[in-house]
Amino acid sequence: MAIKRIFIAGAGRMGQGIAEAAATAGIEVDISDIDKSRLDQGMAGIETSLNKAIERWALTAGEKRVILSRIRPVMNIEDGADHDFAIEAVPEDPELKKTVFAGFDEHFGDQTVFVTSTSTLSITDLAGATGRPDRIVGMHFLYPVPHAAMVEVVGALKTSDKTLRSAKSLAAQMKKRIIEVHEYPGFITTRVMIPFINEAAYALMEGVATAGDIDEAIKLGFGFPIGPLELADTIGLDDLMTVMESLFGVLGDLKYKPCPMIRRLVMAGRLGKKTGRGFLTYDSGEDKLQ
Amino acid sequence: MKILVLNSGSSSVKYKFFDAVEGICQASGQVERIGLGGSLLHHRRMDGDRIRSGVEATDHAQAIETVIATLLSRNHGVIADKTEIGAVGHRVAHGGEKFTNSALVTDEVKDSIRDCIELAPLHNPHNLRGIEACEQLLPGVPQVAVFDTAFHHTMPPHAYIYAVPYILYRRYGIRRYGFHGTSHRYVAARAAEKMGRSLEDINVITCHLGNGSSMAAIHKGRSVDTSMGFTPLEGLVMGTRCGDIDPALVLHVMGKENLTVSEATAMLNKHSGLAGISGISSDMREIEDEAAAGQERAVLALDIFTYRIRKYIGAYSAALGGIDAIVFTGGIGSNSPLVRARSLDGLDFLGISIDTDMNTRCVGCDAEITSRESRVKVFTILTDEELVIALDTMRIVSSFQQQRG
Repeated sequence: MAIKRIFIAGAGRMGQGIAEAAATAGIEVDISDIDKSRLDQGMAGIETSLNKAIERWALTAGEKRVILSRIRPVMNIEDGADHDFAIEAVPEDPELKKTVFAGFDEHFGDQTVFVTSTSTLSITDLAGATGRPDRIVGMHFLYPVPHAAMVEVVGALKTSDKTLRSAKSLAAQMKKRIIEVHEYPGFITTRVMIPFINEAAYALMEGVATAGDIDEAIKLGFGFPIGPLELADTIGLDDLMTVMESLFGVLGDLKYKPCPMIRRLVMAGRLGKKTGRGFLTYDSGEDKLQ
Repeated sequence: MKILVLNSGSSSVKYKFFDAVEGICQASGQVERIGLGGSLLHHRRMDGDRIRSGVEATDHAQAIETVIATLLSRNHGVIADKTEIGAVGHRVAHGGEKFTNSALVTDEVKDSIRDCIELAPLHNPHNLRGIEACEQLLPGVPQVAVFDTAFHHTMPPHAYIYAVPYILYRRYGIRRYGFHGTSHRYVAARAAEKMGRSLEDINVITCHLGNGSSMAAIHKGRSVDTSMGFTPLEGLVMGTRCGDIDPALVLHVMGKENLTVSEATAMLNKHSGLAGISGISSDMREIEDEAAAGQERAVLALDIFTYRIRKYIGAYSAALGGIDAIVFTGGIGSNSPLVRARSLDGLDFLGISIDTDMNTRCVGCDAEITSRESRVKVFTILTDEELVIALDTMRIVSSFQQQRG
């Protein structure tokens, strides 16, 4: 099945990334946000990301125009909208996500598959907010979406096989390797990465080495392309902390509880690359300063 | 025999409809934006009748169905019945080592085209889609695949094997294949015709200079070397492709700029060549205008572009042990007297004496642009790949039908 058109609720970083990656794959995208200024910022963010791709020779100006022409900012969902997919990419708050899904349920036709981009919440629980739990599936995209080569596809308790197949064809069209996971908080990527980042933060806090050296040791020692602290800065320490608290809340294991160092940096407004400073320091282009 | 020639791309299908016995193109056009919404059909009949209309084309099959319907149309068409389409000829980008000539499409041939997808991931899948669509739409009508690579199959190993570990050739088919074969073959034959000699008696260098550019060394009618290689990236400077470079620079830049493989690939294919050097345009016409106005990097782009051609003429003259003719074709080759003159500059020692007037006058036409006493003849010849595809298709289908019948 060739996917033609999708709807994305939430023009934050994840929504922007999914929109850019889908439009690059030839899919028409309607992206929305409850806040008009956030929607405008979202569109500007997509353009900035495409400009960056041109600077890196990954894209031409002509290709950028074609990609942008496929993305339409909208404030409302039209009744009976015939999109192949409706994807929620709103903040990781179960009540908010349920509200969005209830809205999807009201406006979209029967053929539309609903997708949650959650990494920690129960999809079965979210699906309960709609009258069609068999048509809901999880797709956990990783940041930055256009560059991440994989996506976790998550079947919930009532997800039908057909829905799962649709989600896989969307992933395939976006040229992402599909990793199928069972519904469990954190799936693979978040669950394994969170304690890893947390441990690196503890190592820093306990004075084992400098942030730069911790990252270098992991990169050179194990062939990782990016160190855990720079990865944390890339994700954004505030968003990271939300995910950690959510996992800690659901699973109760202390290994997911945010290291005090992360908390302290967030309180100080050092949120990572987006503010120019987190564990490490960055220039305005979000490149690490040596 | 009437023949439909198709060139199926990722989001477009270009077509020409021939009366191949007469060698006359009766209609041509294309469907654009296939699968993207807002698809467009441009259709032109030989008598000048033109239409441009929005059509429904969610896939190649629907696009080709539209093409056939247009050919049948009472007001704009050229045939009264579908059965008048005697055969379909398809342009296929890559035939690998399997295809040394055009081939009647069978299940086996389709499998082989599919096997070559890895070598031409941007073209072969769409070419195949066009073939499959025609099987559905015109059941029983013979189809022929004409490969961009086939003409170069006569190259000797010393021209097509790269000096890298030989196992890579065995494992992945890493070798020179060359492209634009249909064009090189056609213009070389036309040059021989114009000289009143048999192609089997002469050595020709053909320069296909378009948005993609390549040259071929043709020894007695057989391609013995060509400038494009494993991919169309090698050889001449092109609109946005780099052509010959030191491969180490790619690895060096990837490290320095932290580029991924796909970023580096796009850099060499889409951001290099005339566009990359000049920073102005990938279009030679604009480069020429800017160079004439003294824009430094446009001058440089033009210099590099023509110097590379000159170098290849020298190399191929040596490879062929002397030449009888050089042919310029393709959008730039046929239309730019400046590029031709600059490319041949200083080649008097090879026996080339340009008729400057003739060269300047010849834009978009067939002509001999050397003086009468020039030992080596230089021609500009308009290429016609679709006609070659139509003629190949007719030849193969006729002999197949004779065998059968």
